[in-house]
Amino acid sequence: MTTAIHARNLTRHYGSTKAVDGIDLDIPAGRIVGLIGPNGAGKTTALKAVLGLTRYRGRLKVLGRRPDRDRRKLMEDVCFIADVAVLPRWARVHQIIALTERLHPRFSKERCLHYLQGTKIQQKSKIKALSKGMIVQLHLALVMAIDAKLLILDEPTLGLDILFRKRFYSNLLNEYFNEGRTIIITTHQVEEVEHILTDLVFIKNGRLVLNETMDAIQGRYCEVMARPGQIEQARALGPIHERVLFGRHIFLFDRAERASLAELGETQRPSVADLFVALMGEEYESTEGVA
Amino acid sequence: MNRRIFSTLWSLMQRELWESPGSFKWTPAGIIALTIFFVAVGLIFSLRVDNELVFTLDAIRQFSTVDMEQKRLFMSGALFAVSAMFFQIMLLVLLFYLSSCLYDERKDRSILFWKSLPVSDSMTVMSKLLTACLLAPLLYLAAVIITQLVLLATASVYGFMAGVNPLTTFWLPAQLPNLWTIMALGLVVQALWLLPVYAWLMFCSSWAPRVPILVAVIVPAIVAMLQHVWSLLLSFSTPDTNIGWIILKRLGSGMLPNNISWQVGGNGETEMADVEFSQDVFMSYSNSLEYLARPDMWLGLAVAAVLLAGAIWFRRRAADS
Repeated sequence: MTTAIHARNLTRHYGSTKAVDGIDLDIPAGRIVGLIGPNGAGKTTALKAVLGLTRYRGRLKVLGRRPDRDRRKLMEDVCFIADVAVLPRWARVHQIIALTERLHPRFSKERCLHYLQGTKIQQKSKIKALSKGMIVQLHLALVMAIDAKLLILDEPTLGLDILFRKRFYSNLLNEYFNEGRTIIITTHQVEEVEHILTDLVFIKNGRLVLNETMDAIQGRYCEVMARPGQIEQARALGPIHERVLFGRHIFLFDRAERASLAELGETQRPSVADLFVALMGEEYESTEGVA
Repeated sequence: MNRRIFSTLWSLMQRELWESPGSFKWTPAGIIALTIFFVAVGLIFSLRVDNELVFTLDAIRQFSTVDMEQKRLFMSGALFAVSAMFFQIMLLVLLFYLSSCLYDERKDRSILFWKSLPVSDSMTVMSKLLTACLLAPLLYLAAVIITQLVLLATASVYGFMAGVNPLTTFWLPAQLPNLWTIMALGLVVQALWLLPVYAWLMFCSSWAPRVPILVAVIVPAIVAMLQHVWSLLLSFSTPDTNIGWIILKRLGSGMLPNNISWQVGGNGETEMADVEFSQDVFMSYSNSLEYLARPDMWLGLAVAAVLLAGAIWFRRRAADS
């Protein structure tokens, strides 16, 4: 099994801010990893380190290369959308496609045009004349037309309508993804990606909070909607989170015995969003009033 | 491998043309139009004072009888003069282009897209430098050639009307191949001579937080001022050399590509009276090549190399914030 990303004690400080604070991470090839975290958690900085866009301390190998030394070589096998709307605004659509074709040995113009079908993007349009959503569509088409080993998408669907988002994720899974490829996605719209992920990584304050495969998460975490009389019993089992929905108390347990949970009430597997709130929540709950 | 480097460089340079059509396409095209417009206005005006073109055609007939040496001096001189405006405006355009070439991509964040392509930072910086040093001169030279051909064609029409042979009167004395080679050589030498200035602009462009051209002007200006203050305080005199003056002198002496042989302040003692007015003043390879033999030239290239390395260093870290 080849390793797409191998990081040990990956660290990046900006002044006294610890954007990434000693991350250990191994991502094997052929996974779709969701990198989830609140704003300012260090997601983007960690990805920048992987892409050779920032300096870092610690050990980091991406597809066997050091990104800070060998960005050019690395970019033949890695493609990314680091942020929305960074396509050069002066360029025309056909110019940007032609340039990518000439500068990237693994880019296929046909595939790019294929992904552009059904969008309203005209070859002659200037990028500054496109809407924000159309620029994202174009960027996604460019990136997916590259036969890369590692695809990194930082908030790829910001500003896109639901129809396109759905289509994009289904394209990503059905047409783009295969065992040789690794995809890393960060997004705030967790519900949309959760069914395509194979791995989940939570990051907070520059540190990893969770790093598991989806299968392991399903085995590990369990949610119980406790019957009204059994709330105290449930609390006694040490849930990691408790929330109230329509008057019903819902508890989230980490590595608890299924059989004893089933006695408390209806069990279900937690959604990524619920897990996120449970594991990262305190900050959010304390800032809720502000937001 | 080498082929790939070339094609990458070429694609990147074409990218520069796409990004700045105003600087490299419309400006030279505009100067062509303007030059031809003024010539046309001049000709129309001469039609009004010189009704039957009697004097004009007479002058042409006169001109056709002077000896070849005189014709050459006049023709190549006139065509050279035509080129001067193109190359001076080009220099101005290049100063702005170079000072923004590494700044704009940071400002609009498109650097994140460019960095997602397998192109190294040194390659990117080189492509922008080569655009300024080779591609832009080539395009402006093409514009000059077009203008010269149009002017010669116009002159030929008048020549026919005057009943003289345009070929021997205008075209041969113009020595076009010779003229164009000298201009091309002059442009390359000019680019080398100005390389430290170009590199300085790119260096500022690679890190300045805003308005890089202002930074590029203000930094040497402040250094020059401090140098003056220091010198005045220390020895109560103005300094012998001064960074601002050095830069201005270099810009001034590099202004005319084919380096009219009186060097601006070469040793500070050039006088107009010393300039012998023959076509050697501008039609000479040695004038251009002479620049290559100067220690100043090589010193400048060394400075440029350091500044370019700095620009590449900053470009590598540009997305890191």
